[in-house]
Amino acid sequence: MTAIVRADGLVKRYDRTLAIAGVDLDVAEGEIFGLVGPNGAGKTTTLRILATLLEPTAGDAEIAGWSVRRNPNEVRRVLGFMPDVFGVYDDMRVWEYLDFFARCYGLPAATRKRIIGDLLELVDLADKRNAYVQGLSRGMQQRLCLAHALVHDPKVLLLDEPASGLDPRARVELRELLRELRTLGKTIVISSHILPELEELCTSVAIVDRGRVLAHGRIADIEQRLRVGAVLRARVLADGEALEAARDWFAGQPDVAASAILPDGTVELGFRGDEAGAAALLRAAIAADIPIATFSRAASDLEELFLQVTGQDEPVPAPEAAA
Amino acid sequence: MTGATLRRRVSRLAMPGITAIGVKELRGRMRGKRAFVSVTVYTLIVAGFAWMVGRILVESAQNQFQFDPTYQAASIGRGIFMALMILQTLMILVLAPASTAGTISSEREKQTLDLLAVTPISSVAIVVGKLLSALTWVFVLILASIPVTALVFVYGGVAPDDVIRGYVMLFVTAIAFGAIGTFFSSLLRRSGAATGMTFVAVLIATVGLSFIWVFMRATTDSFFARRPPEALFYLNPFVGQVDVACGTEGGTGSWCQIIDEITGTSLANFGGGGDGRVIINEGGVIPPDAVPAGPVGRFGDVVAVNDPFAGERDRYWPRSALTLMLLAVGFTAAAVQLVTPTRRWRPRLPGIPRRRRPGRSTE
Repeated sequence: MTAIVRADGLVKRYDRTLAIAGVDLDVAEGEIFGLVGPNGAGKTTTLRILATLLEPTAGDAEIAGWSVRRNPNEVRRVLGFMPDVFGVYDDMRVWEYLDFFARCYGLPAATRKRIIGDLLELVDLADKRNAYVQGLSRGMQQRLCLAHALVHDPKVLLLDEPASGLDPRARVELRELLRELRTLGKTIVISSHILPELEELCTSVAIVDRGRVLAHGRIADIEQRLRVGAVLRARVLADGEALEAARDWFAGQPDVAASAILPDGTVELGFRGDEAGAAALLRAAIAADIPIATFSRAASDLEELFLQVTGQDEPVPAPEAAA
Repeated sequence: MTGATLRRRVSRLAMPGITAIGVKELRGRMRGKRAFVSVTVYTLIVAGFAWMVGRILVESAQNQFQFDPTYQAASIGRGIFMALMILQTLMILVLAPASTAGTISSEREKQTLDLLAVTPISSVAIVVGKLLSALTWVFVLILASIPVTALVFVYGGVAPDDVIRGYVMLFVTAIAFGAIGTFFSSLLRRSGAATGMTFVAVLIATVGLSFIWVFMRATTDSFFARRPPEALFYLNPFVGQVDVACGTEGGTGSWCQIIDEITGTSLANFGGGGDGRVIINEGGVIPPDAVPAGPVGRFGDVVAVNDPFAGERDRYWPRSALTLMLLAVGFTAAAVQLVTPTRRWRPRLPGIPRRRRPGRSTE
């Protein structure tokens, strides 16, 4: 797979503050790539540099082989960008809005007509064709903004916090839409500080904090590299002292970093081992006569991963260094 | 880059962009009743004002018996024409900046400029497209007033080319002060601040610089010292209109005296229009041999004369118009730079390598 989005030591400095301090990215074609980090980590700055809206202080980035510094116009033709905060024009109908952006890309009239129809179908706004843009709901505006980024059939989509301000249903719709776009062959770079949102969607992520990429790659790979393992939850059929004894037993096992009793009586374990290790742990627990009803990995892997990674001061070592 | 490729590049990127912006802006501006109402109101104001000025001039003319009534008609025509030009200049000085001062700052306020900046249309297209479509509205108003202005031909005293001069000056005024609005709109993030600053700039250009001239004229020895530069008035479109009015007077009226004072020339007092014609009026000196045979002498008629001072007409306003156009180009170029998200103040010259190789320069 070839990298379609590549950032190479991007640095952006505003007067005194360093917004990003050397971001490297490598996104393969056809991926949904998540840029994860707390607010102020440099996600938006990175995306704006990729979108040719900001010039990096140092470093360069390439989109589909074009440099954002030297060939911004070529980059703009292969790129669709949806900023985190965006407005809509007053006094514009939905189709006119898309028509305007299609004109900006110099599409001929017949193509514009066809594409506007297709896109409105895609984002499910076909019945709002003649509605005024400012009268749409937030979720609809978001979808319209996504549609506008697609008028020129870009290879790469940069979406900055696309789900912010959306209700759960709109989020699900957006997620479905992004999956559909991926099947259409788009590469999608998406930023968010809401982790579960990305976890279900992304094929790989970069964890960004304080202007640096702390970890980069497939979620499973990063996990492996960190040996964070996961959070395991064991529902133990006991209470009081027996439950505490079970917790203490777990705490004494190898690869268990921490164990705690949740209010509902579940024992939660910070586990550093892999899947085989988890199996061995479960076997040992049963052998130790602990009455376990359920035993599972907690769902929010990425969240744990994120806390783990951003808690460190140094970037996570690369795979070969960690091995 | 050769001229041809440059042209191709410009036409490829700028023209569709200007069209796109223009279509979008005009769709918004001309939608519904708004455009219709504003043109109607503007025309009504202009027509009402013209009628009132006409009434005033007619009333005052009726109290004077020393002149021929046809001469008086020409005088009334000139008066109405000048009043219309001054009124329209005033309205354009308000309308043109007001319609452009929000164009780019409102995109920033509504956070739509980014959406525009990531499309391949150039900043030139964004700024020029917005300026032109905002001005189109002002142009429509100006054009709508032409039939009203044409009514002065009923009275006489004003030739069609005088009207053309006046309207050229009006269009130039709209472009220049529209460009100032666009500049402040791209400089300042808030539309309110942009509008405010634009009107401060308009006041400086019109009243401020003119007042400096007056101050300098009053405080220097008027006879021997050089008079203050007339360029201080170039940004004042009223003075340009005064010169246009002077053209209708054949060089001797009170409007001409203002221009004489400003430019320091009074040759035109010897009479004659610059294009070798003169309109018969109060002071127009027509050489006896220049009076054609036939039923002439109807005041307000335009007669050809062999004028030795041809060229003295239009001695001021073309310079003012040119300065205003240069100002418009300068402010537009500055606005383009301010809109460009990257590479500010760094025009790329073909063939000159960049100083710094991108990437790997931090280590």
